[in-house]
Amino acid sequence: MIDGGALAGATVRRRLLVWVPIFGAVAFLAIIGAPLIGTTPIRLDRVFDRSLPFADNVDAQIFFIARLPRALAGALVGATLAAAGVVFQALLRNPLATPFTLGVSAGSALGAMLAITFRLHLSFWGVSAVTAASFIGSIGAVAIVYALARARHRGFSTNVLLLAGVTLNSFFSALILFVQYLADSSEAMRTMRWLMGDLDVAGFGPIVASLPLCAAALVAFAWLPRALNLLSLDADAAASRGVNVLRVQRVAFFSASMATGAAVSLGGPIGFIGIIVPHLVRLIVGADHRVVLPASALFGAAFLVACDVLARTAMAPVEVPVGIITALIGGPFFLWLLVRQR
Amino acid sequence: MLRADNLTFVHGGAPKPTPGVVSPNTTDNRSGSACQALPGVQGVSLSVERGSVVGLLGPNGSGKTTLLRLLAGMLEPASGTVSLDGRPIAKMDARARARRIAVVPQETHLAFDYTVLEIALMGRYPHLGVFELEGPRDVQIARDALAATGTSALERRLFATLSGGEKQRVVIASALAQQADILLLDEPTASLDVGYQFEIANLLGRLNKARGLTIVVATHDLNFAAGLCQSLVLVSEGRVVNAGPTNDTLTSLNIQALYGVVADVYPHHAAGHLTVVPLRKVNRD
Amino acid sequence: MTRADRGSGFGIRDSGGPLAATALLVALCLPAPAIAMAQPSQPPPRRIVSLVPSVTETLFAMGAGSRVAAVSSYDNFPPDVEALPRVGALFDPDVERILSLRPDLVIVYGSQTDLIARLGRASVPLYVYRHGSLADVTTGIRDLGARIGMADAARTLAATVDTAFADIRARLKGASRPRTMLVIGREPGSLRAINVSGGFGFLHDLLDLAGGANVFGDVKRESMLVSTETVLARKPDVIIELHYSEPPLPEALTRDRATWQQLPGVPAVKAGRVYLLYGGELVVPGPRVVLTAQTFARALHPDLMPWGR
Repeated sequence: MIDGGALAGATVRRRLLVWVPIFGAVAFLAIIGAPLIGTTPIRLDRVFDRSLPFADNVDAQIFFIARLPRALAGALVGATLAAAGVVFQALLRNPLATPFTLGVSAGSALGAMLAITFRLHLSFWGVSAVTAASFIGSIGAVAIVYALARARHRGFSTNVLLLAGVTLNSFFSALILFVQYLADSSEAMRTMRWLMGDLDVAGFGPIVASLPLCAAALVAFAWLPRALNLLSLDADAAASRGVNVLRVQRVAFFSASMATGAAVSLGGPIGFIGIIVPHLVRLIVGADHRVVLPASALFGAAFLVACDVLARTAMAPVEVPVGIITALIGGPFFLWLLVRQR
Repeated sequence: MLRADNLTFVHGGAPKPTPGVVSPNTTDNRSGSACQALPGVQGVSLSVERGSVVGLLGPNGSGKTTLLRLLAGMLEPASGTVSLDGRPIAKMDARARARRIAVVPQETHLAFDYTVLEIALMGRYPHLGVFELEGPRDVQIARDALAATGTSALERRLFATLSGGEKQRVVIASALAQQADILLLDEPTASLDVGYQFEIANLLGRLNKARGLTIVVATHDLNFAAGLCQSLVLVSEGRVVNAGPTNDTLTSLNIQALYGVVADVYPHHAAGHLTVVPLRKVNRD
Repeated sequence: MTRADRGSGFGIRDSGGPLAATALLVALCLPAPAIAMAQPSQPPPRRIVSLVPSVTETLFAMGAGSRVAAVSSYDNFPPDVEALPRVGALFDPDVERILSLRPDLVIVYGSQTDLIARLGRASVPLYVYRHGSLADVTTGIRDLGARIGMADAARTLAATVDTAFADIRARLKGASRPRTMLVIGREPGSLRAINVSGGFGFLHDLLDLAGGANVFGDVKRESMLVSTETVLARKPDVIIELHYSEPPLPEALTRDRATWQQLPGVPAVKAGRVYLLYGGELVVPGPRVVLTAQTFARALHPDLMPWGR
């Protein structure tokens, strides 16, 4: 786009009032529509038929156990990954950054691999061992990357952060391969499965367990956008306009990393959402983070829910892992993005 | 009214310990600065009067940029203070400081496709509350700033598509939108051709005369400084070696001492100010 | 009520669970079964190195155990193999070790192409094992017997297997076939990553023999991942879950089994017919498939099958 166009003239207020409701409606329709779509036809009247005991009502079970949690999990994970992607891109001042660039998902994956291969049994709060272990893994990765980024400067160097994250990614990937090598076939199958993303949570427990962290991240994401605008110009430009650069960088890093950790623990490392959605949204609403962040979260939710519907219906009864669907859509889109660069 | 007293700053984050004095930790917000053997700035004192145009001259690596950032409050000195109207700026809230002092950096690289108006509006940040959105007044101020720098027509263009001179003027407009009374510029003409150099010089001169804007500009373009600045501060290896009105400070002797270049300095009657013509290089000792 | 204890209640110990399962996985990726041809003109091998646990079991069952010089890292059935040297496994065969034992027959997987090439260069006789359907188990036993010069013993063993199968079929003749879901993998403690046997392959054949109707029999795949929705939609009357290790403590077992309570509408869950089976023999396509078949049959038709042999 050579010209900002008519859009550029519109103030932030107007853009917010136009786009947030639009994307919100899209997300809402996706969430309530997804449970209605599937290879097994169900009837809404039977779903909500109270006279039938739940244990006998297959339609209700399909709706409330199989499909609705999936839709909600998809919305939560999609919104979180998209929003985290926006924040990381601003923090690292690079539109190619993803929520996985700094090694959070590698830490998560390592935790999950260890839990699967060594058959750890530490589930609590309705959260399985794998989910718990992968979350602990993500915390570990965040701690390591942050420690490395601080080691050289008393402050916070985004260059060092990037290097630390990339290094950690490589190192953890090697560890993951090693753990997979040690695993026997059924475990290897499960590790592969986990890595490809799976939103079939079959219950509200894991979703509820992720909510506190996602809510905290949401609060941070509400405070960040304007500072992110300035930060994405230049750290100096931001500082000279009164931004507390260090605080903003820390809040951005931790909130986006922990949110990513929660999302990956819930649904596995589902790729491309954190980069396609922000780019698409920027094409539509412009670059101002105050609009991009909420719009991306809403669009990310809708996008992942739609991908998941595709994942469970495309080759029924075989499940296609949702990460494959996002990759199949995201890969070509990404190539197109690179090609159209001015 | 902007004063620096005995400033010392060391790159690399570790301040030189001064016995008996508790020095604040330096925070280097720039990424990747290498640890230099020389101190960034040492024992620098200067003062800038309200409404004046001051040039910081010095060779590359002399500490001009560091000094500028210290004056803006973007760096904390290892020792010494910077004060504004008698108040130390370290004690000021960052946004309050941004309402008084604006900085125009040497280059601006955008990661995302912001429009010119969005860039100008970013200058309003110090004036807005935490969740406050820009109102019509803010938009008007931003537009006025664009008008002052002659970039109104570019309002809807994407910043990345502008020419060098246009970009620099937009960034200056963004700084003007802060409604600060002090403008610090770091090498504003470094990557501009002579046409744009004139534009910027004229613009800054106009802003100073019309609005009484106090301007401090770090540059190594001697003729630019000669035409624009009323007084100069000569900086070398982190120290002030000379300071005073331009006519007194910009001499062949001082230039030779600073740059190792033999130059002819004389008032050019058509230009209306001192002109420097470099002749040859001398080996520095 | 679980049948977990029965699965390993015959003194059958865990046998090469990990590797056998790996072998199963690898074999599942291979195309049509093709068993190596016998070479009757050679003298019968007396120093056999076996990298394939199911073949090791077959050798011992035929009475050729004394001729086995070394086994894979994951072999542990029968107990006699404990004393034997190990030469690696499917992914990491120790070629030097194998050669140092001067074998006159090495039993390898068809996918170990590198190993096959190297042993071929060293002129070591090979028997290439390829996995197939249930019928290939007995064919394989006979082929192996011919290869090592114990055709009669092999025939007897194969006949035992066939007889046992025929016995099961006879007992279950005319019985209704409960719709069964055969789960070959699942994330412990949750219903994620449910891996089931499709309508193709060795496990499906065993289920079919044992008088069950695979609810995913229409899908021509050896294994596939299914969602909870699919499970609800297919409504199996029986769920059989396979685990390739020792059974855990009873409390853990009950807890794991209770995971299925998340889907109360599934007929199998309502009727309490969820069976968790433990044992390494469950994935070894060797002579002990008989045990597996009997265990399946006992789960599906408790009234038609005896407890003991």
